[in-house]
This record gives sequence, structure tokens and C-alpha cells, in this order.
Amino acid sequence: MNAATSVFSHIDYLVAVALFLSGAWILLTSNNLVKKIIGLNVMETSVFAFIVTTGMIDDGAPPLLAAGVEGPFASPLPHALVLTGIVVAVSVTSLALVLVLRIKAELGSVELDEIESVGEHDDSAGPGGGSG
Amino acid sequence: MTAELIDLRPALAVVISLACAGAVFAARENARWRAIWSLSAAGVKFALVWSMLPGALGGAVYSFRVGEVLPGVAFGFRVDALGLFFALVSSTLWVLTTVYALAYMRKSHSLSRFFGYFALCISTTVGIAFAENLFTLFVFYELLTVCTYPLIMHNEDLAARRAGRKYLVYTLSGGGLILAGMAMVYASSGTLSLAQAGILDASAGGTTLLVIFVLLIAGFGVKAALMPLHAWLPAAMVAPTPVSALLHAVAVVKAGVFGIIRVIYDVFGADLLRQLGYTDWLAVLAGAVIIIASVKALRQRHIKARLAWSTISQLSYIVLAASLLAPLGTLAAIIHIANQAFSKITMFFVAGVIERGTGKTRVDELAGVGRQMPWTMAAFTLASLSFIGVPLTAGFVTKWYLSLGALQGGREVFVGVMVVSGLLNAAYWLPMVYQAFFRPMPADRKAPAGVSPMMVGPVLICAAYIILLGAGASAPAMPFSLAEAAARFAIELKASVE
Amino acid sequence: MTHWPHWLPLVAALPMVGGVLTPLLFRSRPSLAWAWAVSIASVTTLASSALLLTLVGSGPFSYAVGGWLPDYGIELQFDPVSALISPVCIIGLLSLIFSRRYVERSIDPKKVSFFYALVLVNLGGLNGFMMTGDLFNMFVFMEIFSVSAYALVATAREPIAALAAFKYLLMGALSSLLVLFSAGVVFAMTGTLNIADAASRMDVAGPMPAALALAALATGFAVKAALFPVHFWLPDAHAAAPAPVSAILSALVVKAGVVGMLRTLELFAGAEQLLQPLLTSLVWLGALGALGGALMALVQRDIKLMLAYSTVANIGYIFIGLGLATASAATGAMAHTLNHAVIKSALFLAAGAIIHRTGLRHIDDLRGLARRMPVTSFAMAFALVSLSGVPPMAGFVGKWQIAVGALQAGRPAVLAVMIIAGLIVLAFSVRVINALYFRPPSRISVASATEVPLSMLLPIAILTAGCLGLGMTGQPVLEFVAPVIKNLYGAVP
Repeated sequence: MNAATSVFSHIDYLVAVALFLSGAWILLTSNNLVKKIIGLNVMETSVFAFIVTTGMIDDGAPPLLAAGVEGPFASPLPHALVLTGIVVAVSVTSLALVLVLRIKAELGSVELDEIESVGEHDDSAGPGGGSG
Repeated sequence: MTAELIDLRPALAVVISLACAGAVFAARENARWRAIWSLSAAGVKFALVWSMLPGALGGAVYSFRVGEVLPGVAFGFRVDALGLFFALVSSTLWVLTTVYALAYMRKSHSLSRFFGYFALCISTTVGIAFAENLFTLFVFYELLTVCTYPLIMHNEDLAARRAGRKYLVYTLSGGGLILAGMAMVYASSGTLSLAQAGILDASAGGTTLLVIFVLLIAGFGVKAALMPLHAWLPAAMVAPTPVSALLHAVAVVKAGVFGIIRVIYDVFGADLLRQLGYTDWLAVLAGAVIIIASVKALRQRHIKARLAWSTISQLSYIVLAASLLAPLGTLAAIIHIANQAFSKITMFFVAGVIERGTGKTRVDELAGVGRQMPWTMAAFTLASLSFIGVPLTAGFVTKWYLSLGALQGGREVFVGVMVVSGLLNAAYWLPMVYQAFFRPMPADRKAPAGVSPMMVGPVLICAAYIILLGAGASAPAMPFSLAEAAARFAIELKASVE
Repeated sequence: MTHWPHWLPLVAALPMVGGVLTPLLFRSRPSLAWAWAVSIASVTTLASSALLLTLVGSGPFSYAVGGWLPDYGIELQFDPVSALISPVCIIGLLSLIFSRRYVERSIDPKKVSFFYALVLVNLGGLNGFMMTGDLFNMFVFMEIFSVSAYALVATAREPIAALAAFKYLLMGALSSLLVLFSAGVVFAMTGTLNIADAASRMDVAGPMPAALALAALATGFAVKAALFPVHFWLPDAHAAAPAPVSAILSALVVKAGVVGMLRTLELFAGAEQLLQPLLTSLVWLGALGALGGALMALVQRDIKLMLAYSTVANIGYIFIGLGLATASAATGAMAHTLNHAVIKSALFLAAGAIIHRTGLRHIDDLRGLARRMPVTSFAMAFALVSLSGVPPMAGFVGKWQIAVGALQAGRPAVLAVMIIAGLIVLAFSVRVINALYFRPPSRISVASATEVPLSMLLPIAILTAGCLGLGMTGQPVLEFVAPVIKNLYGAVP
């Protein structure tokens, strides 16, 4: 564990930020719902990568108690966080994909502009068609 | 000095009409129970309020504190002379209006809604009268808006909806202004009490005080129909006549002027306002409104519209009298709450009797009505004389003390306003009296039908009151002495303490 | 009731376990699934009341799950902010009771057991979220209630619901990710994820990473709470969801974002120079949200969409109060968090009852309904008046406190904004009341409508009573949350 001043002294943090931004770009600008999910996954990966690297210590050993292994150990907590995070990410992604399947089945497209242009002409589409 | 007494009666007087409203709603379309509940609640309330009069005349102040709702913001009742005076007027007129309305509304629809909200209106009006602090006053003031809305919307047609919308836009905006002013009062003085004859002091800063004054006066000025905030009132004339009577003589507009009196004497205090001089401007505005509204009234052809504009003018008498900050002016302001109420409700009752009896609603259709309904039109004549300011009527008392107050405060110009306004009143009431009594009846006029004694009775009682208030004003145990006590309290208490 | 410490994990775990079991046990028996869900929610409500009583009696307390002590184990805590689980449980229970008949018409019978399961899991997640003082656990519980919320929106039959749920999911996942990222940064800076510990070690942190963590955390929770300008996911999701779900989402789930923001303020209480810009922007964004939300609500014709925009406006009020950082305003914001939950759930359930009986949701179509559905219409009108902040109703308490706080903080403009927004709320309330009460029916389904059954009426009636009751009991509520203030702003006045 290191002082906060070193947060930006690592190349790994920069990679994480670059990944995060590219994921956000895909998420926000893509018209295709599946691509939006991919963007979300890229962002998630970047955060996981970032958190894992915060636990790293130069020359640290894996945090396993075994004969002949001496400290300092890498911090195990970030790994635990990321494992949980991955589980959550998988469930969110699967739910998102199910929703896309239903959207495709009921509204006939996975392209946002096509869906919303349908919503504007179809009164039965319910609340706020196209007001997102 | 005054003695504070813990007493349940102020709260009971509010709750009784609340319970009545509940019972009326529960009675649904059962006319008999509706009448029984309405009348008995009106009677009980009348007795409750009047029972506090002897004590109040002896200098007692009845109070009942419910508790703190928010830090520094309590909910409570306190019956001082001014509040009791307003409550006496309201509860007395509620009895009469209820009797009248039971007859007038007989053939109408949604009657349980009508009488239920009618009772709620009086409940909230008495709540305003008995409010111990600005918060309680504001709560009832807003509830009054809510409760009168269904009454204005009673006919459920396009005109009613338009009037209702206008009414709400004005009164709710006014409520917003009061809320803002109230928050500023609280932030600069830490209390909202109305029991101290002035809670603000000059240390709050000139700008803040001016903003508070404008917010509160404009907020209450909406219901007091202070020009230019008056437009809702002529529009609200679409409501059934008993509602117009209630709105214009008792509940709504008087709640507005009552609020203004409270702001002047209990929030700011006469001493502070004398230093600040804001009330001079208010007096000028009120004087202008008296004249302008009278001129507008002169040009109205509908009886109820003329009455509405006359109300706007008369309410400004009260505002003008209160803002003179002279003891006799204050007395005039308070006593005119009663005088205007009885005179104006007489006229509305008469307008309703004429409408029900002959179907006439316009000024130029009145020819010969006096011969068909001599008692009713006699009452109307009496009310006209009161508004003109003929001695021995209630209106004279107001004008007399208002003029004295103007002289006391060194504002002679307002005596002139009184005179001009008296002439204008003569100019728009007397032609109606003349038409009714001295013009021949058109040949095709049918005999009046459907006017029950339950409608004429209240008219005559109100008319009798006009004489009583005018000729017997200084008799002991009359409301006049109570008004005197209230005026004394408002003006002099602070001076005597210092 | 004596203090039994295991209530604390139970109120989070019981609904989640009970929820997961629901479809396994009662998949083909919807009414049994309902009874099961209501029982679980009732027990949870009782447990939360026991916790609340303990808190009132003996002050805040905490619990180490499985006996593992903080730093590594999961620690749950119970302070006045966590006490929000009590209204969460009650409103959740009432929404579940309401759902029994509502889902008959609006949800595929085969999926009803899943619906109850999701509601229970959602409540468990909310309870856990509000009771944890640990950033990572906050993230986990947040994902639990969020994912169940996305799915709940999608249970509505309308095709648009899936799209609304998808948009909600994207924004929600983004905000969760920001929280997770922030947790990582805080851990890197201070070596702990416990909020109280991290707050005390914040001085070792450099300004840049701390600012980054604060910005990410605040943005994440702002999205969850639907603070302007990141509110845009809310209206569609809340309007498209089945009515009891709308009630839970608008009353409770967005409030989790508010709780998250409170925890953020606790975490950074020591870092004044960082906190000040956040507080200022909360006031501004809150004011824009209050005005914008009210205006958007005013132009809506769909009753649920109108209510959803009104939620945006009220979240604006709450954040104004938090941002003003005076004792009066902050306690007012917390009281409004509770009061708005009660008011808005009453409104959404009443709207649900109307939609259930008439199938209509356009305000002009609802004309004359008061004669056919008097209780529901009265509840709707009453709660709307309460929402607009007319005293002595529940909506007034928070707004008054925030207004006084604004004046004390020398920001009269905020007062003006609040008054104007309040008047706009009154304007759309009056339009609904006019339609219900003062217009003749224009639709056959209105003219033939009947009042909803008791299982729907009862929750509406209880919540409507709360709209008045909470206005009367503003003082105790404010005193109850007052101790939280000193943890929030550090040395900021």
C-alpha cells in the first residue's frame, strides 16, 4: 500500500483510464443496444484492472500461506473486490442481453433510432415514447 | 393588563365546524340530516364564540397551544380582542348564511359537497381569527383557499372552471408570497408569534424589512382584493349567491384584510412602521383603490358585479384605516370588518332573493321590484345608506372614525377620499333603489315565486344589525367596545410597555 | 422489545433469501407466493421496528457479521440514516399487499412468483445498503437492489417497458461502476473501505486522488438519485413499471442515492476544500432539478409520467437541503427524504388503482372519476396537495426547513426557486383534481368503474394518512435525524 501521490505515477492507471474512456464513448455514442452493452463491459474491465493494480506491491508475493513464502504480500482485498465485481458484472450483462432480446422481439430492432421512431408513430407504445 | 387563560374553547370553535363538515359529507344526499348538522353546528359555534365575549371585554386572553410542529413553529390558538371580533362576525353570519343557503340551494346538485365545504370555510376562518402565530394563520389561510375552491366550482361549467382557475392562480401565488415572507420573518426574528405587538425590529436591515413587508402585504392583499391583485374577485361571482356572500362579506376577503392588520400591528408593530414609513405608501394605494374601484362599480350592469367592485372599494377602507397607524384609524379598521360584512351580506342576500324570486340579475331590470318585495328592498336601501355613510347606520361609524383617524395622523387628504367615496357610493346604489321603488313595473313581470321566509329572514336580521351597529355602537357589551379594546391593544400596548 | 443483535443482518438477509425461495416454492401458485412474500415482508418490518426502537432507546449500534471484525468482516451499523429501513420495509410491505390484485391484470401469471421474488430481493438490498458503513458492501447491496429494480421495470407488459428498463440498466450500471471505482481509489489512499475509518485517515490522502474519488462517488450516487442533469433515465423507467414497482422505485430506490450521498459527505467530512464545490453544485443542480422537474411534470399528460417528473423535482429539494449545509436545511432534507417517500408511494399506488380499474392513464381521460372511485380519488387529491407542500401536510416540513436554511445561509434566491416550484406543483395538482372532481366523465371505462378492492385500498389509505400524520410529527423526525449533521460537514458551518 502506497501513499496517494503515486496514484498517477503508474502506467497501469493510465491504461485503466484510457479503457474507461473508450468504454464510455461506446456506451454513450453507439446507436446499437448490443454495442452499448459491450461499452459497459469495457468500462467494467477497466475499473477491475485499476482496482487489482492498487493491491500490487513491487516484488510482493501472492497472498498465500505456504511453506517458504515470505512477505511482503500483495494485498488480497482488491482481488476479493474484483471477484465480486465480476460476478455482479456478469449478472448485469446477462440481464441486459435478455432485455435486448425482448426489445428485438417486441419492437423489432436493436437500433435506438429505429425503435424510437416507431415509438413516435405508435400511440400504444405507452409513456414517453421518444422522450428519453 | 391582559390575563392569559388556557381554554379549550378556541380549539373547539374550529373543530366544531370541522366535525360538522364530516357529518355533512357522511350524510350524503340526506337533506334533513344535512340541515340538522349544519344548523346545530352553526348554533353551537355561535354560542361558543359569543361565550368568550364577556371575558375578552374584561381583558382576558384565551389561548390553547397544540404544540410545536417544527422548531420554533408552533400550532396554537390565542383569542385576543381583534381575533374574537373577527370570529364573532364570522360565526354570527355563518348562522344566517346557513339558513339562507338551505333555502337558496334547495334545488341544486352536489349539496353535501356544498354544505360540507361551506362548514370547512367557516372552520378555517375562525382558525385564522384565533391563530396564535403566523404559521397557524398561514395554515388556515391556505386551507381556506382549498375549501372555497369547490364552492366556486360548484356549477361545474366552463365559466365556473375559468373563475376557479383564476381564483387559484391568484390565491395560491399569494400563499407562496406569504410563505416566503414568513420564512424571512422567522429567519430574522426566530419567532412567528402574533402575541407581542411586533416581532421584527430595525436591526433586521432596511432591505429585508421592505421585502418582508411587500411579500406579506401582497400575499394577504390577494385575498383582500387590493388592487392590482383583485381580478379574481369579480370573476368569482359565477358562484352561487350564498357563496358570493360568504366570500365577499365574511370568509375570504376578510381573512385577507385581517391578515394585513395582523402584519401591520403584530408582525411589524405600529412603532416600527412609523419609523419605516411603509404604511404611508400602503395608505396612498388603498385610497386610490377606494376611488378607482368605486368608479368601476358605477359602470357595472350586473348586480353581483357591482357588489363585487363595491367590495374591492370597501376592503380598502379597512386597509387605509389600518395603515394610518392612528388609534382612531385602527378602531375604524376593526369596526369596519363588521360594518362592511353586515352591509354587504345584506346586499348579496337581497340579490339572491331577487334572482330566485324574479330571475332578474341586472341593474336595469330592477324596475318595480321594490313594490313586489318591499321588505327585501327596504333592507337593500338601508345597506346602501350604510355604504354612503348616512348617520345612524353602521357605515357612518366607520367613516367618522376613519376621518378622525386621518386627522389624528395628520393625513387630511383621506377625509377628502371619504367624501368622494361617499358620493360615488350614492351614485351607484341610489339609482338601484330608485329603480326598484319609483319606476313602474313592466307589464309582463310575473309575481315573485320560490322565495321562502328562510331567505327573507336573514336579510331582515342583517339589516337590523346595520342599524344596531350604527345607532347603538357605544352601548356596553356591543362588539364596538371589543373593537375599542383591540385597537387599544394594537396601538398602545407597546408604548405602555416601554 | 429487548435488543437482539441478529435482527440487523436479518432485515437484509431474510427478504433476499425469502425472495430467492419464492419462485422455487410457489412458481405455479401466485396467491401462495403473495402470502409468502407478505409474510416475509411483515417479519422484516417487525424486525426493522425493533431496530428502530433500540436506536431510539440506546443510540447507534453496529454488528459484525459472523463475528469477523471490521477491516475484513462485514460490518453492519444502525444510525439515524439507516433508520430509513423502517419506512422502506413498511412501504415495501404495503406495495406487496397492493400487488396481489394488481398483478392479476398486468403480469403474466407464470411470472408472478418472480415478480414477488424481485420485490423482496430489492427490499433486502435496500435494507443492506442503508445499514452498511463499508464502501464495498454499499456497492454490492447497491447492485442487488439495482439489478432487481431493472428487472422489475421490465415485468410490465408494455413493449416500451423493456426499453425503459434497458436505459435504466445502462445508467445504473454506469453509476455503480463509478462507486466501485471510487471504492478502489479510497482503498488505495487510506487502506480501508470502512467509511468512518477512511474519513479519519483522509488527511493522508493527496488532493488529486481524493478529489477524483469524491467526484466519482458523488456522480455515481447522483445518477442513482436522479439528480438533474443525470435524471433522464428516471421518468420512462418509473412510468413504465407496474404501479407498485413505481411506488418502490420513486419512494425508496432513488432515496438510496440520497443515502449514498449522505455517506459520501460523511466520508469526506474532513476535506472541506473539496467538499465546498460539491455542496455548491448540489444546491445549483438541486434548484435546477426542482424547477425543471416541476415544469416537466406540468406539461405531462400521462399521470404516471407526471408523478415521475415530480420525483425529479423533489430529489432536487433534497439535494438543495444537503448542499446548503445548515443544520436546519440538512435535517429538512432528511425529513423530506422520508416524507416524499410516503407521499409519492401513496400517489403511485393511487394511480395504479385508477389504471387497474379503468386502463386509462391520460389525465383528461380520468374526468369524473371521483364519483365512481371516491376513496382513491380523495387519496390522490390529498396526497397531491401534500406533495405541493401546503401546511400542515407532510410535504411542508422539509420544504420549510430547507427554506429557512436557505435564508440562514444567505441564499434568498433558493427560497424564490422553491416557492415557484411549489406553485408549479400546485398547478399540476389542481389539474388532476379538476379532472377527477369537477368534470363529467368522457370515457366509458370511467363511467362504469368501481372502487378497487380492500387489498388495494388499505395500503393507499394508510399511506395517505401518513401524508398528514408526518406533517404533524415533523418536530420529532427532525430531532431524530439531527445527530447525523455533525458527521456530515466537518467544520463547514
